[in-house]
Amino acid sequence: MANETPAAEPGMRFYAAIWLVLIAIVGVEVALTFAHLPTTSLLAALLSLAVIEAGLGVMYFMHLKYERRALFWSLIPTLVFVLVMLNHLWPDAHRLLRMQH
Amino acid sequence: MSGSDHALTMGHGAALEASPYGIQSKKLVMWLFIIADAATFGAILFGYGYLRVGSADWTRPFHFTPTILNGMVMTLVLLTSSLSMLAAVAAAKAGQRAASARWILVTAGLGVVFAVLHLREWFGLIAEHWSPSNNPLGGSPLVGASFFSITGLHLLHVIGGVVALSVVALKYARGHLEPGHVETTGLYWHFVDLVWMFVFPLVYLMNVG
Repeated sequence: MANETPAAEPGMRFYAAIWLVLIAIVGVEVALTFAHLPTTSLLAALLSLAVIEAGLGVMYFMHLKYERRALFWSLIPTLVFVLVMLNHLWPDAHRLLRMQH
Repeated sequence: MSGSDHALTMGHGAALEASPYGIQSKKLVMWLFIIADAATFGAILFGYGYLRVGSADWTRPFHFTPTILNGMVMTLVLLTSSLSMLAAVAAAKAGQRAASARWILVTAGLGVVFAVLHLREWFGLIAEHWSPSNNPLGGSPLVGASFFSITGLHLLHVIGGVVALSVVALKYARGHLEPGHVETTGLYWHFVDLVWMFVFPLVYLMNVG
């Protein structure tokens, strides 16, 4: 893997296409917000779209797709692990709410 | 025998071994900073979610105009600045030093526009008596506390990025830096853009009344 040759990077036309996709996703997010979805559904939809946006940005704008795979596998799973560990706060938040009633 | 010669002849691994990632050390360090900073923003966003779920009297103060419309314009400005940063990196790699410096300055200019729009929004909210410790709608004051904390941390990153971009543009134009510096600064700027992709839906859109 250490001798793996990074892939060739695309041109500005490709990046402009990604930029348009990101703008479109923001438009969808705003439309969903005013579609009066239940809060949990809206949160799930907005988070999913934000993760897609972040994925496009990291892989293409930040060129992670064109680096050696070792960089991806060293960085991204580490961050995901930390964020999953942070997720353990949630049950305590619900407990706090119940204590107020 | 110099230090580097000594390392080569005596076989110090760091001097001889190729990077497993095949990138400059400055770029690797920026990636490590970005991952750490992403965890910081992750923590503050999780904290915001915790406060929100744990507050029975949470209020949703935002409407399409002016807040969401302003936020959409800010998002467009920030996304466009990422595109101009990509143009700067492409020009730097092509050896077009002056063009690259111009694109970096365009990026910094868009960063300034974002900051001005953001501060205008802040001052509007402050004029309505919002603050980190006050909710003029009578609900939880944690609404203002979390809003100003999260957007303030992001705004600090934008302002820091504008300063860094301006310095890099000037130094790169004068030949004091190399394309790797432009690319590394670009990584940071794209990261600031990506953080906003979470702040806008979670802090703005989820608080539409």
